[in-house]
Amino acid sequence: MLLDTENAGAPPSRSHTRHIEYLLVAALAAVTLVLLFAMGFFSHAAAETAEGKPQRFAGYVHPNDMGTGALLFPSKEPGSFVEAPRLATDVVIDVNGPIIRTRVTQRFQNPSKGWVEGTYVFPLPENSAVDTLRMQIGDRFIEGEIKAREEARKVYEQAKAEGKKTALLEQQRPNIFTNQVANIGPGETIVVQIEYQSSVHQSGGEFSLRFPMVVAPRYNPDPIVQTVDLDPNSGYAVNDPVPDRDKITAPVLDPAENARINPVTLTVNLNAGFPIGNVTSPYHTLVTKNVDGMARTILLENSSVPADRDFELSWTASAGKTPHAGLFRETMNGKTYLLGFVTPPADDAAATDARPKREVVFVIDNSGSMAGKSIEQARESLALAISKLQPQDRFNVIRFDDTMSVHFPSLVQATPDKREDAIAFVRGLTADGGTEMLPALEAALRTQGTVEPGALRQVVFLTDGAIGNEEQLFAEISRNRGDARVFTVGIGSAPNTHFMTKAAEIGRGTFTLIGSEDQVAARMGELFHKLEKPVMTDIAVTFDGASAQDITPNPMPDLYRGEPVALTAQLDGTSAVGKLQIIGKTGSQPWRIEIDVAKASEGKGIAKLWARRKIDDLEASAYAVNDAATLDKQIETVALANHLVSRVTSLVAVDVTPSRPAGEPLASTDLPLNLPDGWDFDKVFGEKPQQTIPEDQRKASLEQSEEQAMLVADRMAAAPTARAAGLIADAGTQVDLPQTATLADRHILIGLMLLAFALMAATTFSLWRWQLRGLVLEARGRVR
Amino acid sequence: MSDKRHNDGNHTNEGRAGFLARLNALETVVLAGILLVALAGLMLVGKGFYMKAKAEVSQVLLKRSFEAQLQGEPDVKPWPWADFSTEAEITAPRIGKTAVILSGASGEALAFGPALLANTPAPGELGTSVIAAHRDTHFRWLKDVKPGDLLLITRKDGTNLTFRAGTSRIARWDESGINADAPGRNLALATCWPFDATEQGPLRYIVNAELVPDAGQSKLSALDNSVQLPVKSF
Repeated sequence: MLLDTENAGAPPSRSHTRHIEYLLVAALAAVTLVLLFAMGFFSHAAAETAEGKPQRFAGYVHPNDMGTGALLFPSKEPGSFVEAPRLATDVVIDVNGPIIRTRVTQRFQNPSKGWVEGTYVFPLPENSAVDTLRMQIGDRFIEGEIKAREEARKVYEQAKAEGKKTALLEQQRPNIFTNQVANIGPGETIVVQIEYQSSVHQSGGEFSLRFPMVVAPRYNPDPIVQTVDLDPNSGYAVNDPVPDRDKITAPVLDPAENARINPVTLTVNLNAGFPIGNVTSPYHTLVTKNVDGMARTILLENSSVPADRDFELSWTASAGKTPHAGLFRETMNGKTYLLGFVTPPADDAAATDARPKREVVFVIDNSGSMAGKSIEQARESLALAISKLQPQDRFNVIRFDDTMSVHFPSLVQATPDKREDAIAFVRGLTADGGTEMLPALEAALRTQGTVEPGALRQVVFLTDGAIGNEEQLFAEISRNRGDARVFTVGIGSAPNTHFMTKAAEIGRGTFTLIGSEDQVAARMGELFHKLEKPVMTDIAVTFDGASAQDITPNPMPDLYRGEPVALTAQLDGTSAVGKLQIIGKTGSQPWRIEIDVAKASEGKGIAKLWARRKIDDLEASAYAVNDAATLDKQIETVALANHLVSRVTSLVAVDVTPSRPAGEPLASTDLPLNLPDGWDFDKVFGEKPQQTIPEDQRKASLEQSEEQAMLVADRMAAAPTARAAGLIADAGTQVDLPQTATLADRHILIGLMLLAFALMAATTFSLWRWQLRGLVLEARGRVR
Repeated sequence: MSDKRHNDGNHTNEGRAGFLARLNALETVVLAGILLVALAGLMLVGKGFYMKAKAEVSQVLLKRSFEAQLQGEPDVKPWPWADFSTEAEITAPRIGKTAVILSGASGEALAFGPALLANTPAPGELGTSVIAAHRDTHFRWLKDVKPGDLLLITRKDGTNLTFRAGTSRIARWDESGINADAPGRNLALATCWPFDATEQGPLRYIVNAELVPDAGQSKLSALDNSVQLPVKSF
């Protein structure tokens, strides 16, 4: 205003430059204002995304995070666990033809001065059949016995309440097993030994196996410095959930260091059944000994066990000896079990990189239950999927809530224009309304026209599956699927996996789970790989001249490039007669093969593999069985007969420590040196020769592991009695609470502030105008 | 400023009326800015009040649909495009507040009412059922719940239950320490904390409550005789 006063009396030329200056200032102010707004919104958005991700403490773990066998104790932080120091791990893998038997022995310690109930968590490759559990806790030996799940739990709870050593092995998910161990005394050592059966993976002439070894983020050796910051308003001190945020950078220990803290010995007895060519492991250094042309003994070089890589071993046949078919049999309890695999001949068209023409119908759920993170992930996944389409492909997009709309009138060629158009449509979707899935599914399966010859029809379904009419949807898929394959993509933190797994099975596609934003790229990548590669379809297996009751998997899934048909079957009687026939279709070309059952070679453990697959099939048929209890009973029968852990059966440990023979002095039982028959814990006890490691280094590593044990003990919630330990362990499972603050108050507050600001500015402005007018009039008067 | 004089001259000479005509460019920009700020403020206030109004109005509709459900109508939806159903009704008699509880706290359900978390049992069943709601709408009164207060719950099957509020505490959302399978028949009410904050934060305020055993609980499943309500002793 002062400037203005000057200005009013200034010569016109000067006032003109002033004017421009004013305009500049005004423009700058406007830009700043806009920037401030934008920043406000962005920082707000950033705060929201950070909130969505669960924050983890260094050293604290959750059962689902475990990438290898680990014993977890409840920690002082509710809901979190700490990992028991792993003193030694020994793995023996026996490969006999197509069958793998793995025995894992691990030694842990309870470093605390109290009683605890621990949970041993171990992830396994899919389709592993767990049948044996042996444990040593302190001086007691216990061995698992298969029982129905409920019964097993009762036995466990009973034994736990009585203060006995006991263990319960349950299947949590098909590839995650947990073993609860009760009444571990202070400082006691626990040895866990599990055995499981699985089959060799084959792809493109390469045979492979995998053993999970990824070590979850572990103890942070830096001292934790915590400051107490009192809130001046409330007087409370709120802990920063991650006090040493900046130190949690490297989630995985240095591999070389880890090998000393966490020694792993691994032996593979490889008996391939054919002349072996190459044996390789992508991440681990191997020491290979030739036994003969068909067998190798493989050891892991102990000093180089990376903590962030699963152990993978692959082998090939020597040139020209790659088997394209194999049949193995086992006779057990008056029945014959068969395991067969056949690699279809590589199609010339498939061998080149030519992609088949695809017709993809994307269906996206934008109902209210998808609101928030879920719809963001769904939009991002779908946009990615559309952008990956090739110009020769055709596609369409359908969205649904309680209404539905089909984006293009019919399938359109995936030209860049159309793709952009569809992506813009998808990005504009918001989540609201109810979930009426059936009409969308009908539209996807029925109204998209006929499949062009040679094209693959794929329906990709993105949803959280929050629906109630599952049966109706399953029926719709199985009735109207035709040649289409239905792929489901589960979105959000808790999608209805049951529905989506089954829908994909009936639709002969696959199920992809996307749990968080950062999984979108990787998981969708896996899906694209399957969507893009040519497949062998309509595979059927029959037996000629033998009565086969159960052939698994049933129905046979589609094959992706380089995969073999792998089947197991149960035949009546002990005599192997008849012929095995497999038919299928590559594109439109039929394919057929016959194998004589009598020529099958003997194999061990086939019955268990068959049982495990039978259970999978039964689980998959759940939608067709009205009575869940009947299904559970069927699964239970198969699992109990084959001593397998399943969804409805568990292994419960029974104390098998031999009682002290009469007359034997008490002192001799103090040290449990005589292991029960068939138990082999030697590898994890006893000092290993460590010539390679110099004395000072060994000392250092010993100190480090002691330090680690102290850290663990510090964070553990140990109980003074064995009974209380159970209560603490129970409190470990907990419920995550949703976000319960709306931004309404914030909006109103900011809005009111803006209004107040506008009011003030307007007042100032009018005052300024008023004064200015007076001055102008005065100036004019003076001129006159 | 020469412009202004010029404009003023125009005004007097040619009679061009209007307020804007008398402003120079700078003043127009400033005025437009002020108007924009005022508009943005109005919109934000409107949005805030819309969210609150939605929460209030939907409760009326929910109440109606819940009563229909109590009359025995199955599968009633509060409105045709709703993505949830009503589960129960909670009343805090001392504070004089009532709210209809929805099933599942996923997505947008919480904008309309308190929700029973899907992975917890129904109120009155064995275990701990967890009901969450927004601190600035439906559970604004949660801070006034004192230990010893009674909380009445009417389930959709018509069962009337009484819970007695116990202690309250503050925990992070992913470390609630609430065990859905805990012994006893418990209820946990959760909302965001601190109450007067306007930011969305990780902290939650949790009120624990225990079922008051009385008559009229015949509909409760598995009323086990063997396991009496556990005595809280460590």
